[in-house]
Amino acid sequence: MNQFGNLINALETAPAERPFITYWVDEDEQTTITFGEFRAKARAHADVLRVQGVMAGDRVVVIMPQGILAMTAFVGAMMLGAVPAFLAYPNFKIEPTKYSSGLRGVTANLRARLVVIDEQFPDEILGHIALADDTTLLRIGDVQPRVVAAFQPREIAGGTLAFIQHSAGTTGLQKGVALTHDAVLRQIGYVSEALKIDAERDCVYSWLPLYHDMGLIACFMLPMVCHLHVVMQSPLDWVMYPGSMLEIVSKYRCTLVWQPNFAFQFIPRRTPENRRQGCDLSSLRALINCSEPVRTASMEEFERAFSPSGLRPGGVQSSYAMAENVFAATQSDVYDSSGPRRIWADGREFRSRHRIVPVAECQGALSFTSSGRLLPNHEIRIVSESNVELHDGEVGEILLKSDCLFQGYYNRPDLTADGFVDGWYRTGDLGFLLEGELYVVGRRKDLLIVGGENLYPQDIEEIVAGHPAIHDGRAVALGIYDHSLGTEEIVLVAEVERKELIADREQLERDIRGRVVAGLGVAVKRIFLKPPKWIVKSTAGKPARTASREKLLQEHPELCNET
Amino acid sequence: MTSAEQQMVEHIVRLIRKPAISIDENTALVSSGLIDSMELVDLLLKLEDITNLRIPAGKVQPKDMDTVVKMFATAQRVGKARKS
Repeated sequence: MNQFGNLINALETAPAERPFITYWVDEDEQTTITFGEFRAKARAHADVLRVQGVMAGDRVVVIMPQGILAMTAFVGAMMLGAVPAFLAYPNFKIEPTKYSSGLRGVTANLRARLVVIDEQFPDEILGHIALADDTTLLRIGDVQPRVVAAFQPREIAGGTLAFIQHSAGTTGLQKGVALTHDAVLRQIGYVSEALKIDAERDCVYSWLPLYHDMGLIACFMLPMVCHLHVVMQSPLDWVMYPGSMLEIVSKYRCTLVWQPNFAFQFIPRRTPENRRQGCDLSSLRALINCSEPVRTASMEEFERAFSPSGLRPGGVQSSYAMAENVFAATQSDVYDSSGPRRIWADGREFRSRHRIVPVAECQGALSFTSSGRLLPNHEIRIVSESNVELHDGEVGEILLKSDCLFQGYYNRPDLTADGFVDGWYRTGDLGFLLEGELYVVGRRKDLLIVGGENLYPQDIEEIVAGHPAIHDGRAVALGIYDHSLGTEEIVLVAEVERKELIADREQLERDIRGRVVAGLGVAVKRIFLKPPKWIVKSTAGKPARTASREKLLQEHPELCNET
Repeated sequence: MTSAEQQMVEHIVRLIRKPAISIDENTALVSSGLIDSMELVDLLLKLEDITNLRIPAGKVQPKDMDTVVKMFATAQRVGKARKS
């Protein structure tokens, strides 16, 4: 992508008649906009923002529903040399108090010149947007491109900020990652080379929100720069009908998809048989699992479910990505028909000596899926707690250095300073390198350390959630420090499928302990069986470990006394 | 209560699994914490089913789903007829 001076130049050179975005509302309604039409609408929006006094370097916050209008407003701001940021639009799935508090924090930190909202933005939330004295709040609707045909984007140096993307989920968006045009173009160049992207052949499908790096970089900026067609839908419509992915990929012959690990289970479990019939996934070159640790079982579940629908062997791929690096740091080999490398390792060696000793598949062995090899100009170090570099197959924190790495968190030098050590970015993820490939095993803050053994809560939770009396996906494993023993003990909270099952508590606890011991060789100290809906969930519907831990300690203060 | 509202109330009673709590068409569900975000997805699907309308999820806010009466009003406001 070295031929482009900035992201807008890349858009300007796209063939005018080529379809850019198809926005899928539902099976009856879709809208397609070509690159030429998109450019014209973005220019029209740029002019609307210019009239409001937006200048180069100004922050422009875009809080609009997923769709073409939000995208043309975002690019319109970039055309002025301003620095846009997408924030999540309020929706029925986000708890209003949590949303408002996150919104207030982020808008205050960005000190935007302009906050752009749509005409339907709920009035009751307006008061939670932090407006500085010189911030304007602007409601915009569709624009007529012919009005501003004469508008020309300004010249933008590649080293200037292109936009800000946020590194967390839908709420508590505190860390704005500031990225330059050059860094984004370099990243897109590396990803497109790794995936051998071809504008004549490739088409992207996305249900990902635009405020997330996968949605913004892989499914908006990459298609814009590489001149690809992208077919997108709202994450809210997807969560209601996850099987719509199959319909869209089949209809538009999509070749590239990115999504987080949980979707690889969510789609097969929520797609009824009648929606699978007639679907054809044979066009998919790469369905890439990234942004969460890659779980072998999730990918296999998806493959089993959709091989009959034409999903080709090796169609499911993996990548290690984060907003701080624009997007990807690694990518698996999309031309390897066996898919990302999967290994089995000795469970005891992994937990007690934090290293990988490959073994054949057997009881007690752990399975890991590779996230692939490093992209060009990327380096990774795996380090111990004391920052000593570890060898191949040794598990430690992943540190990253690259020419795509962010300059810092916007307006947060404190967080930026904490994020780096000796020029390396501390990802907070744990993983290991093996024969040149990276394996990510979990988040450092979630790790349980029991008697010197490293345990990953998701391994325990997966076993427990497999018990028929436990509600699927509603188990949380926690480490509670025991001062008398000088180590953490495993405490488990799980929701029973039906309240009356708690009556059989003793038998149930015995079963669960037995399963965890058989699977991982470790003992659970305390099990708390709770009625349905006890576990606190994130906005994505997944168990929230920290909030569930706080709730447990409040209900059972003896746990604090014991420790 | 209309028969459609009655159908929805019965669905909610089954969904929340709290027999001690009585639910009617004006019971606050979201603001009282009786239902959570993933259950709202389930309720929207049920609402589509009962009304035979397609309801664009992006046009629905938590307050629109707070009571059964509000749910049906929302369906009328933003729902559209299915073509297929």
